[in-house]
Amino acid sequence: MKINEITENIKIAFEAMSVNKLRSLLASLGVVIGISFVILMGWVLSGLDQALEDTFNIIGTDMLYIDKWDWAGGRNWKKMRQRKNITYSQATEFCEKIKSAELAIPNAREFGYKIKYKNEEYQGMSFIGTKWEHSLTPAGAILIGRHFTQFEDDIGANVIVLGYKVYQALLNDGNPVGHYVKIDGRKFLVIGVIKKQGTMLFDFVDNQCFMPIKAFQSVFGRSGRSVSIAIKAGSIENLDEIRVESEGLMRQIRNIKPGEENDFSINETKAFESTIAVLRLSVWGVGIGMTVLSFIVGIIGIMNIMFVSVTERTKEIGIRKAVGAKKRTIWMQFIVEAAILSFFGAIIAFAGCSALVYLTATFLPEFVPATAFLSPVLPYELLLIASFVSIFVGMLAGVIPAVRAANLDPVEALRREN
Amino acid sequence: MEIKEVINNGTTLIDIEHIAKIYQMGAEYVHAIRDISLQIKKNDYLAIMGPSGSGKSTLMNIIGCLDTPTKGKYLFKDMDVSEMTDNDLASIRNKEIGFVFQTFNLLARSTTLKNVELPLIYGGYGASLRHEKAMKALVDVGLGDRVNHKPNELSGGQRQRVAVARALVTEPSIILADEPTGNLDSKTGLEIMNLFNELWKAGNTIIVVTHEEEVARFAKRIIKLRDGLIENDSVNHEQRSLIEDSQS
Repeated sequence: MKINEITENIKIAFEAMSVNKLRSLLASLGVVIGISFVILMGWVLSGLDQALEDTFNIIGTDMLYIDKWDWAGGRNWKKMRQRKNITYSQATEFCEKIKSAELAIPNAREFGYKIKYKNEEYQGMSFIGTKWEHSLTPAGAILIGRHFTQFEDDIGANVIVLGYKVYQALLNDGNPVGHYVKIDGRKFLVIGVIKKQGTMLFDFVDNQCFMPIKAFQSVFGRSGRSVSIAIKAGSIENLDEIRVESEGLMRQIRNIKPGEENDFSINETKAFESTIAVLRLSVWGVGIGMTVLSFIVGIIGIMNIMFVSVTERTKEIGIRKAVGAKKRTIWMQFIVEAAILSFFGAIIAFAGCSALVYLTATFLPEFVPATAFLSPVLPYELLLIASFVSIFVGMLAGVIPAVRAANLDPVEALRREN
Repeated sequence: MEIKEVINNGTTLIDIEHIAKIYQMGAEYVHAIRDISLQIKKNDYLAIMGPSGSGKSTLMNIIGCLDTPTKGKYLFKDMDVSEMTDNDLASIRNKEIGFVFQTFNLLARSTTLKNVELPLIYGGYGASLRHEKAMKALVDVGLGDRVNHKPNELSGGQRQRVAVARALVTEPSIILADEPTGNLDSKTGLEIMNLFNELWKAGNTIIVVTHEEEVARFAKRIIKLRDGLIENDSVNHEQRSLIEDSQS
């Protein structure tokens, strides 16, 4: 195919489309809808991927969490419930004995208590009793004020670092540092606020408060809960070594005989990949069905209009053939026209979706916080993919009309009156 | 190129031997051409005449490589057209044949210049050469000042001149005109015939299909068809030349 012919074909296509603007628009409507589905689906999926990455960043990709509960193991829930709690002393022993880790800190969690500030009251959050080293993990990053010190940790001072959501609920952007809050009747001095970190998958992280573990125990009691251990590897390469050491050490601490199963889980960020995979799949499932359906409509729409175009331009085809256009050239002319028509539909879809995506990502999270993972900008790869898809769909739709045009007998075609 | 040299010496351009064209219409077979043999030499000026149904349109389509005969042999510059594929025929039409139609058959949405460039696009010429050749052809037919007009902005005579320019632009071996004056008033018709005369004198080979004696009078040789056969093939001793008329 010569460049001449291709550029000529593109010009012809634009001419033909400009003559029938409304008709071209209507013909490409199916593609507009189909491409919109592709774009919106890709947009949601890329948002999910971003949410996953953000989640990894909060939990830390070099972090392991030893817990009674397995993050990924929904099915084994009953079995895990029967596991013995990891006691505070077991956790402390572990933290003291582990060698290969950069950090290991126990985390005790308590739900169901209210937090009060002046007349404001907030509940539905959790309290975490932890060590001062929490400030060294990604989850302990500070927005306002400071984290508690080793000294405050040692003496079990009644100080508290608020999660972002708790801070918003109680103080609504005011400076919290130096104010007192009450938990179960006891006064805690607010010393800082943790950075907003919540993602769709992990929105509870903003809904928790941190205090020295000794203070935690004096409020909520020493026993009756399972303590988890956060281990910071320092680097991803160390993870394997630490996992092995942790397992051995924990089995030893919990007196598990050789051959017996672990009665604890070593969790890592990988566990979230399966959660995301399920979400991705459901987006795909819904999206792909709608997309295929609208592309079928789109193909029929374009094919129909191309048949009309071939019929209307029979005389023109005859003239072109008379002056030397080969079958392949005529075929190409109509394929190009169908492809451009479809691509034109894709451009409309780009414009429409860009506006929709911007508005949705800007305003929807205010009403539905779970949608905060959505980006207001479409990823450019998506536009590229959509462009190729639209061109492919157009070509597909154009094949049969183009073959019909190419096979027209020039004598018959020239005899037409139009 | 060698072939052209030989033909310049007056050898046969078109050699048609016992061709027939049979159409099937429903259950019936229509013999549009029964048996025609014909030679056309370089720089011939031929008029093909006959009443409607005589097979002159079919003959023109076959000579113009728009159609192939059902039987017989058609040699164009010693190439066997009757055996050619659609693509080869398109290629011959592009390089060797210039068509002029009764209804002009210009692309309505394209400018004069674009219309004349059309065969060159399919001939694979680059944009600048295309432009240059098309401009020259338009100047040659006296439309150098109408290049950016669309067909509907031109008179019938001007449109037919555009068609002639389009036919000439690839420097084809023959110019094939089908009732070229059929849609023109007699004065404009004469102008077009005068143009053909000039082209013939410049060395072109011209075949005009017509049912009008007035038009046929310009040709050097007149073939009369009837019922798919050649009824008469003779030299026109009273060939009319408008240029000479206007000089006298």
